[in-house]
Amino acid sequence: MSKSEKKIVLKSLDNEAFEVEKAVALQSQTIWVMCEDKCVGNEIPLENVTGQILAKVIDYCKKHAVVDGDGDESSEELKNWDTEFTKNMDQSTLFNMILAANYLNIKSLLNLTCQAVADKTKTIDEFHTFLNIENNFTPEEEAQICQENLWAFDD
Amino acid sequence: MKEDRSEMAAKDVELDPRSAAISEPLSSSSSSPAAFNAVVSAGNKSRSCKSSLPVTQPPCPGHVLENVLENVLQFLTCRRDRNAVSLVCRSWYRVEAQTRFEVFIGNCYSLSPSRLTRRFKGVRSLLLKGKPRFADFNLMPPDWGAQFAPWVAATAMAYPWLEKVNLKRMFVTDDDLALLAESFPGFKELILRCCEGFGTSGIALFANKCRQLKVLDLIESEVTDDEVDWISCFPEGETHLESLSFECVESPINFKALEGLVLRSPFLKKLRTSRFVSLEELHRLMVQASQLTSLGTGSFSPNDVPQGEQEPDYASAFRASKSIVCLSGFRELTPEYLPAISPVCANLTSLNLSYANISPDILKPIIRNCHNIRVFWALDSICDEGLQAVAATCKELRELRVFPSDPLEDSESPVSALGLQAISEGCRKLESILYFCQRMTNGAVIAMSENCPQLTVFRLCIMGRYRPDHVTGKPMDDGFGAIVKNCKKLTRLAVSGLLTDEAFSIIGEHGKLIRTLSVAFAGDSDMALRYILEGCPKLQKLEIRDCPFGDVGLRSGMHRYHNMRFVWMSYCRLTRGGCRDIAHALPSVVAEVFGSDVDDDDDNADYVETLYMYRSLDGARKDAPKFVTIL
Repeated sequence: MSKSEKKIVLKSLDNEAFEVEKAVALQSQTIWVMCEDKCVGNEIPLENVTGQILAKVIDYCKKHAVVDGDGDESSEELKNWDTEFTKNMDQSTLFNMILAANYLNIKSLLNLTCQAVADKTKTIDEFHTFLNIENNFTPEEEAQICQENLWAFDD
Repeated sequence: MKEDRSEMAAKDVELDPRSAAISEPLSSSSSSPAAFNAVVSAGNKSRSCKSSLPVTQPPCPGHVLENVLENVLQFLTCRRDRNAVSLVCRSWYRVEAQTRFEVFIGNCYSLSPSRLTRRFKGVRSLLLKGKPRFADFNLMPPDWGAQFAPWVAATAMAYPWLEKVNLKRMFVTDDDLALLAESFPGFKELILRCCEGFGTSGIALFANKCRQLKVLDLIESEVTDDEVDWISCFPEGETHLESLSFECVESPINFKALEGLVLRSPFLKKLRTSRFVSLEELHRLMVQASQLTSLGTGSFSPNDVPQGEQEPDYASAFRASKSIVCLSGFRELTPEYLPAISPVCANLTSLNLSYANISPDILKPIIRNCHNIRVFWALDSICDEGLQAVAATCKELRELRVFPSDPLEDSESPVSALGLQAISEGCRKLESILYFCQRMTNGAVIAMSENCPQLTVFRLCIMGRYRPDHVTGKPMDDGFGAIVKNCKKLTRLAVSGLLTDEAFSIIGEHGKLIRTLSVAFAGDSDMALRYILEGCPKLQKLEIRDCPFGDVGLRSGMHRYHNMRFVWMSYCRLTRGGCRDIAHALPSVVAEVFGSDVDDDDDNADYVETLYMYRSLDGARKDAPKFVTIL
């Protein structure tokens, strides 16, 4: 990579373009690999991520790119920022953030958003409806697991 | 009473598993390869775009979710939540089973070890409970069971990465300890609470083999003295020890070796020594380990000091131990020395004086400095006066236990309704109380129910049998009734004193969250038991002794024994036929009956001395001793 290429353009699924510092974008392992392999130009199409979500991802990366260079005193602030960042996200946004973090391979963002889901989603029905998963147990299997959970592994 | 004293040890190291996960989310991000492979092999392709353009199709949410599922699950440590996850769908069940590192089993006979290893593939931490609690009161013959052997054998094969074992009321042999030490190269934590069957030679071998050991806590366990210098058996060099507790080990120790061990354990935070450590020796340990946060003092009595020799300055040793927040021990206290702890009192959050036979005059100057104390245990020798001093100072108190210094039922106890009343007025944040006394009044219990609405545990033991309100002579119904009515968070209740069926009617109706109920010498008829079993919707553990409850009462709970961990009834009015009816109607409930002696008398042949009943996924156990009949 030549040093002059400081900026990079990320293009979302719905064709929204974001110009960002390379240091910001390279927190994504996926983008990093693409740049390394020179398989893209200065503009990177991200066809799995909408502009709305990508904007948030970039917010996150900007925050972390800046602070990561600083000393320890910012880590507390960063943690608070992270908490605020996910606090008011609705579940559908959070879900899309997980998908984006997974696709872009940003481990810390993936952890953060997964933690948020783990904190917010608790009942089986919530899993089924929010995550749109089909319950593919037979009634017998389900009853058996339910019994095992309650009888042996509950408190 | 064994267990009652042992719980304190658990409390002060207990962490909410979820808060632990939150505090260091990144450290757990290195996922186990096995679990990861399972997710990947479930068909995910979303990370395949290493050197080509990203896939142009939007990802199928189902597939991507499987990939991130493991990421989410690593933050889910609460077993309730994990149980919920396992019921979502097949792939979630699989991934959850592969990523569950901590397993809790409330009754070792509720399943076979092979069921455990069949389902969970990567267990690192196992908490296993054996005998029911009434075993602590000599209500259970020795050699009843709860052997650890089959569990250690199964886990040795299935879980090479096992790091923690925490057992309660299990029978653990020296061979089990040897197998544990040999099977798990990375083993880190062993906690044996109220266990038996092993000796110091087993501990010696274990300590020697486990080079990564962080925690060795022997709590209220019966450890045979094999005359082995086990302390010397820890490996040479710096240790990883963070916690070492052996207060219950009744054998002399090699102090030089202990001193050396402490010296080469820079991470040691908790040290609880036995009564064989003298006050002078404690002083030497403290000087070397100022980093300790939890200290079990041992005897807290000096050896015979040679005349003319200067006594160590104990108070200054405590003054230098600024990090101590938790103090216990005082196994053979010489009361004049107790003021030496004064310098740390202001920092203390937990003080256990349940072995210290001290008068109110000794306690008062100490407790006056303990403003921060959350947990306080004492003997009733501190009298109502001592409790009044606690009430005046300890505004943050969450847990109080007062044990009898003379457990004989007919001896006069120096604590009474007065002390309880004072505590309720002074300690409004109280959440848990265990209180042994002789004289109690409904008024004092009602006052506590009104003053301490945060109570989750209320255990009042009015010693002597069928004792009414000390002032009015009435049953204690109103007092206990007020507790269940006013303390909405109550999960554990132990009742005593003169109680009619009416009390149980109120408990059944209002005890919405009660999980554990202990009843002794109470009630008039089967109705009492029926009220409980038809009410108390969350009841998990029911233990009853010496009550006039028979087959009819037992039958009234038929609908719910599947949903309870266990029912214990001893010295009641059960018959073998009555118990057998339950057992036949509920095939997955195991009904064990046993007694202290075999009675061939025809009149008594049908009488059941003890019924212990629990649900089991794998049927009746195979290791029952001869005196146990499984119906």
